[in-house]
Amino acid sequence: MKNRLVNIALLEPSDIVFEGLSNVFSKSKQYFKIFRAESLDEITSLSGNEKIDVAIINPSQIQNKTKEFSTTQKNLPDTCWVGLIYSLFDDELLSLFDKTIHITETPDKIIGVIDKLNDAESSNSASSGQGQLSDREIEVLKLLVAGLSNKEIADKLFISIHTVVSHRKNISQKTGIKSQSGLTIYAISNKIIRLEDYTD
Amino acid sequence: MYQTKKSFINASMKMADLIFENPILLLPLEHFELEFLVQDKSVAQLCKENNISEEVFITVANYYNGFHTTSYENFTKADMEWILKFLKNSHNYYENEKYVEIQNLIQRLYEVNDAPEIKLIGKFFDEYFEEVKEHLSYENKIVFPYFDKLLGSENSGYKEEDSFSVNEYREHHSDIQSKLKDLKELLLKHIRVNNDRVLRRKIIVSLSELEYDLDIHSLIEETILIPLISRLETELK
Repeated sequence: MKNRLVNIALLEPSDIVFEGLSNVFSKSKQYFKIFRAESLDEITSLSGNEKIDVAIINPSQIQNKTKEFSTTQKNLPDTCWVGLIYSLFDDELLSLFDKTIHITETPDKIIGVIDKLNDAESSNSASSGQGQLSDREIEVLKLLVAGLSNKEIADKLFISIHTVVSHRKNISQKTGIKSQSGLTIYAISNKIIRLEDYTD
Repeated sequence: MYQTKKSFINASMKMADLIFENPILLLPLEHFELEFLVQDKSVAQLCKENNISEEVFITVANYYNGFHTTSYENFTKADMEWILKFLKNSHNYYENEKYVEIQNLIQRLYEVNDAPEIKLIGKFFDEYFEEVKEHLSYENKIVFPYFDKLLGSENSGYKEEDSFSVNEYREHHSDIQSKLKDLKELLLKHIRVNNDRVLRRKIIVSLSELEYDLDIHSLIEETILIPLISRLETELK
């Protein structure tokens, strides 16, 4: 992570603040590339060319545009959204951001916030990858493709319905397959069940 | 969502250049019933000649280039007619072209690869196609006529007893896409390859093309159509 280039989009109307913050980033040991955006749309369009890791936004720029802000966030799920605060905003507005930084904070702290956000992001996407199913998950999968309901699976394995649901969630996450018929094909391909066992 | 390295489209760009860059843009042209022979026309000229608002065209075309702009509050009734035309034509593209194409490819896959799962893949897809058809026919029979009526058409074919509701509509197009993804996962990660490389490539590409258009289809429904329903409904009351 440490030496990876981090792309930052800055949506901040004040030249002085923009220059100051850019300066803070350029003096750090991390590699940052700073883009200045004038609107949320521009952040979206920037991200067409380069992945924007962090977007730092003056909250006044999204006041009365919260709907637009949340669609922008949805469009760019891998970007961290940071509010840059130097005046009072209401909590509801600030809660839309992943994190806030205050203008009076030291440069180190500001960079620390960005670093931490970025690390969290990349470890998140790493852990959501695929893995082997556990023995318990395989048991649940077998019963699932046999057509048992959550309740029936719970009774059979002496676990709660809640646990069944969470196993199912993990199975779908690990295999990338959500539908029951898709999981049946998965189970046959991976020799978890035999085709002969599968009766429709 | 669909991040690409494509241009963020604006009115002064030449349509042909944009298509060279991303040929998938032929699809919105087709769905809007615009000519493919775009010559040297800019997006603005193209829109003007066809009497389609720049805002509608650019918003939708940008979806295909991977950008999601957010300024559809100003869409008018006339724009709605274009959106409806677009959605109706894309239904036709799914039902009569894309699904049939994939169904045929899967049938051929079955001829060359005798893995037992392939037969199940065929069944999976057929059942899925039935679900999709049901959804499309719900939209064709209830949703579109309802809109036509809102837009003032005398013979929209919408009957009061059809009782359209936004909530029901929302539920309806929930997870058409997730089964497509299941299929791609299975073909790429789990099912044994046996003399079927070319066919499999064609199927995966075709599934991805379909998925891409479906994504945009539901994006348009959710971000443009549904908000407009409520707006038009209040205006009419």
